[in-house]
Amino acid sequence: MSEYILELKGITKIFPGVKALNNVQFQLKKGEVHALMGENGAGKSTFIKVITGVHKAEEGEMFLNGQKVDFRGPRDAQLAGIAAVYQHPTSYPDLSVTENIFMNHEIKKHGIIQWKEMNKKAQEFLDELDADFKSTAEMGTLSVAQQQMVEIAKAISTGAQIVILDEPTAALTANEAEKLYEIVEKLRDKGVSIIFISHRFEDMYRLATRVTVFRDSQYIGTYDVDKITNADLIKAMVGREISDMYPKPEVTPGKELLRVENLSRVGYFKDVSFKVRAGEIVGLTGLVGAGRTEVVEAICGITKLNSGKVFLEGKEVHIKNPTDSKNLGIVLLPEDRQKTGLILSWGLGRNVTLPVFDRISKSGFCDEKTERDLAKKLLEDVDTKAVSIFDPASSLSGGNQQKVVVAKALAQDNMKVIIMDEPTKGVDVGAKAEIYSIMGELAQKGYAIIMISSEMPEILGMSDRIYVMCNGHITGELSRGEVTQETILELAMEKSKESKEEVVS
Amino acid sequence: MAGKSGRTIANTIDKPWKKVILSWEGVLVLLFIAINILCIAISPVYNATNLLRESPKYLAEMLLLFPMAYLLLLGEIDISVGSIVCLAATMACMASNAGVPFFGVVCIAIITGLACGAFNGFITIKFRELPTMIITLGTQIVFRGIAEIALGSGGSISLTDSSGFKLLNGKIGIFPYSFFLIIICAIVFTVIADRRNYGRKLYAIGSNAKTAFYSGIKVKQTILIAFIVIGVFAGLSGLFLTSTAYGANTTTGKNFEMDAIAMAVFGGVSNMGGKGKLYGAFVSAFTIMCLRIGLGQINVNSQVILIILGLLLICAVLLPNIAGMISAKKRTAK
Repeated sequence: MSEYILELKGITKIFPGVKALNNVQFQLKKGEVHALMGENGAGKSTFIKVITGVHKAEEGEMFLNGQKVDFRGPRDAQLAGIAAVYQHPTSYPDLSVTENIFMNHEIKKHGIIQWKEMNKKAQEFLDELDADFKSTAEMGTLSVAQQQMVEIAKAISTGAQIVILDEPTAALTANEAEKLYEIVEKLRDKGVSIIFISHRFEDMYRLATRVTVFRDSQYIGTYDVDKITNADLIKAMVGREISDMYPKPEVTPGKELLRVENLSRVGYFKDVSFKVRAGEIVGLTGLVGAGRTEVVEAICGITKLNSGKVFLEGKEVHIKNPTDSKNLGIVLLPEDRQKTGLILSWGLGRNVTLPVFDRISKSGFCDEKTERDLAKKLLEDVDTKAVSIFDPASSLSGGNQQKVVVAKALAQDNMKVIIMDEPTKGVDVGAKAEIYSIMGELAQKGYAIIMISSEMPEILGMSDRIYVMCNGHITGELSRGEVTQETILELAMEKSKESKEEVVS
Repeated sequence: MAGKSGRTIANTIDKPWKKVILSWEGVLVLLFIAINILCIAISPVYNATNLLRESPKYLAEMLLLFPMAYLLLLGEIDISVGSIVCLAATMACMASNAGVPFFGVVCIAIITGLACGAFNGFITIKFRELPTMIITLGTQIVFRGIAEIALGSGGSISLTDSSGFKLLNGKIGIFPYSFFLIIICAIVFTVIADRRNYGRKLYAIGSNAKTAFYSGIKVKQTILIAFIVIGVFAGLSGLFLTSTAYGANTTTGKNFEMDAIAMAVFGGVSNMGGKGKLYGAFVSAFTIMCLRIGLGQINVNSQVILIILGLLLICAVLLPNIAGMISAKKRTAK
C-alpha cells in the first residue's frame, strides 16, 4: 500500500481564459494535518474543488490509497470518504442540527425517517466534539463556530477519512479557534487525515506537520512546518520578501480629534469611553461579540445610542444618521465589504464616488468627468489591482476590494477620523502588508485611525494605543510599549459572566 | 500613496455602439418596429390617426409607468396605484359636481394622490422589514374601499359639467395633450435617472440599500419621494381618465398597477432593483400599446390579447436568463 492516503499528480484545471491550476501536485499522509497555504487566487479553492469532485481537472491523476480514482461529481468524493468544511458553513439555517448532520443520508426504516435514532446519533457526534448545544437546536441560532462543529460532525457521520477545512478559523475568535484546534487534534488522533487551508500562520504552527504552498496556480513546494522559517514561508507564498509586515511610522500624535464619553446602547455596550488623536492608530480589540462593531456603528449613526456624548475636535456633536457622520468627517469602513462596504455590481469608480457624488455634482447633475478622474487618481493611489474603473467590484479579490473601500473613504476630503472594522479580514498576506502601509501613510497625513481587529499580530503591530473590550465594556487601555498578547487576552475574557448579565439587564 | 507598482487604471470607456444595439433596449426598438409592421399588415385601419384616437386610456396608464419604474429601481413596488387613480378620479368628479372650479378640482385630485402616496411611503420607511408588496396590497384595498364608499350604491358617478375636463381632453392636430405629457415625462424621468443625483441614489439603493445607507445616502428620504411622486402621478392619471370617460366608477384604474409593472419589466427594469433603463420602459410601453390597439382593431378577443401579452412578458423575463445559460454552456464547452 502507498505511503499516502491521497495523492494528486500533474493536476491542471483550465477556466475560460485562465489556468486556475497548472501542473500541481499534493500528497497527504494518513493521519496527518497538512496545511495548504497561498495568497488569494493562488488556486487553493479550485484545488479543493478538484479533490471533492466539484470541478473536473483537464489533466492529472488522483490516487486514493494508491488506487487511481476518477470522481464524476461531489457524490463520488463523498462515497470515497472525503468531506469538506467551509469557512461559511453552507447549511440550512431553519432546520435542526440533526437534520443538517444527516442531510442526504438520513437514517430510514422502510422509507420513514427515524427521528429518535437520528437525534441520538447526532448528539453522540456532538458530545464527541464537546459541543455545548443540543442536536435539536435550530442551526440558525448557533454561532459560526458552533455551525462549523455541526459541519465537522456531518463529516464524521459520513465516515469521512479525509476532512478538508477551508479557512475554518477566519470567522472565529481566539478561544473558539483554540477549541477548533482541539477538535482537529482529536480527529487526527482517530486516524483521520486533514487538509487545512488558512491565512493564519498561528493555525499552521499550532496544527500542521507539513505545509504545501501554492502560488499563481502553481505548486511551489511542500515543507516540514518545524523546518521552515516564517520569512521563508512568506517568501514562498508571496514570491518576494516582505521586509516589514507592519510598517508603523513614528508619528507624534497631534490634537485630539474624536472623544466619546459613556456611550451606552442597551443590550450591546455600556459606558464606553475612548479618544483618538490626529496621526494616531488606536486598536480596538476583544472577542467577536464584545460589542466593538456595535460601538463604532452607533458613533456613525447607523444605530442609535441610548446615552453618551461624542466630541469631535473638542465640540460635542449629535450624529443621528450616517449622513451626519459623513458630513462631519467620521468615516466607517465596515467589516463586511461585500454587503455594506461596496455595491458589488457597480464599477469601481462609482463605488469610490458613492459618498461624494452629490458634492461633486453641479446644480444636481452628476459630474461624471470629475468623478472618473477622482476615482482613477484614488484607486491608483491605493494601488488597486484593476484594469479599469468600470470593472465591477465583484471581480476583485478581498484585498483589492478593501483598497477600493479605502479609496472610497479618501474621496471624502473632509475626512478626519477613519474607522476600519477588521480591515484585513479575508485578505491574503501580500495585500495585508499593503493595507498596513496605507494605514501608516494615513496616520502620517494626520488622520485619526481607529482599527477594530481580532488579529493579535496586527493589533500589536499597528496600534499606538489599544482598547480592549469584553461583553460591552472597555476593560483596559494599553499603550504600545507595555502590551503583550497575554495581557490583551486576559482583558478580553475578563469576568465574562457577571458583566454580561449587567449589560443585558 | 502606496503606488509601488505604478499601475495605471483606465478611466475611459470605448463607445460600445454594438452593445447598445445588442442590449435589451435595442431589441425593444426592433420589436417596436416589427410590431408596427405586423399591425399595418393585419389591420387595414391601423394608422397614426386611429392609433392616437385610441391612445388616451393607455397614455393615462403610462403616466404611472415612469414613477413605477423608479420604485422598481429602488427594489420597491406599489400595487395600490390603480386604487389611487380610482380614488382621485372619484374625488375629482365629486368636487366638480359640487361646483368647485376646475383648478380646484385638479388640486383635489393631485392632493388625494399625494396623500395616498405619502401614506404608502411613510409606512414603508417606518417599517422597513415589511415588504412593500404587502403594504400596498393593503392600501390597494383600503383606497379602493374609500372610493367605493364615496361612489355609493350605484358604483359610478358622472360629470354634470365636463367643460373643465375638456381642457385635458384637447388635441394638437391628431395628438392628444396627454401624448405630449408622456413625452415630456419620458425625457424628464430619464434625465433624472441617468444624470441627476436623485437617479444615482435610486440605482445605489436598488443595488445595495445597506451600502447606500452606510455611505451616507438618505435612503428613507429617497424612497418616500418616489412614493409621493407615484401618488401625484396617479392623481394626474385619474384626472385624464375622468376627462375621457366623463365620470368615474368602481372599475376606474383597475389593473393599472399591473399594466405599469408589466410595461416596466418588459422594458428591462428589474423588479429586484438597481437594473434597467427608463427609455427601455418607454419603448416597451408604446410597443405594448400598439400591439393592443392593432389586435383590437381586427377584433381579436381582448382576453386573447391579454394571453399574448402575458406570454410576451414571460419571454421577456426569460430571455436574458436563457441567453446567460447559453453563454455559460459555451464557456464550459470550450
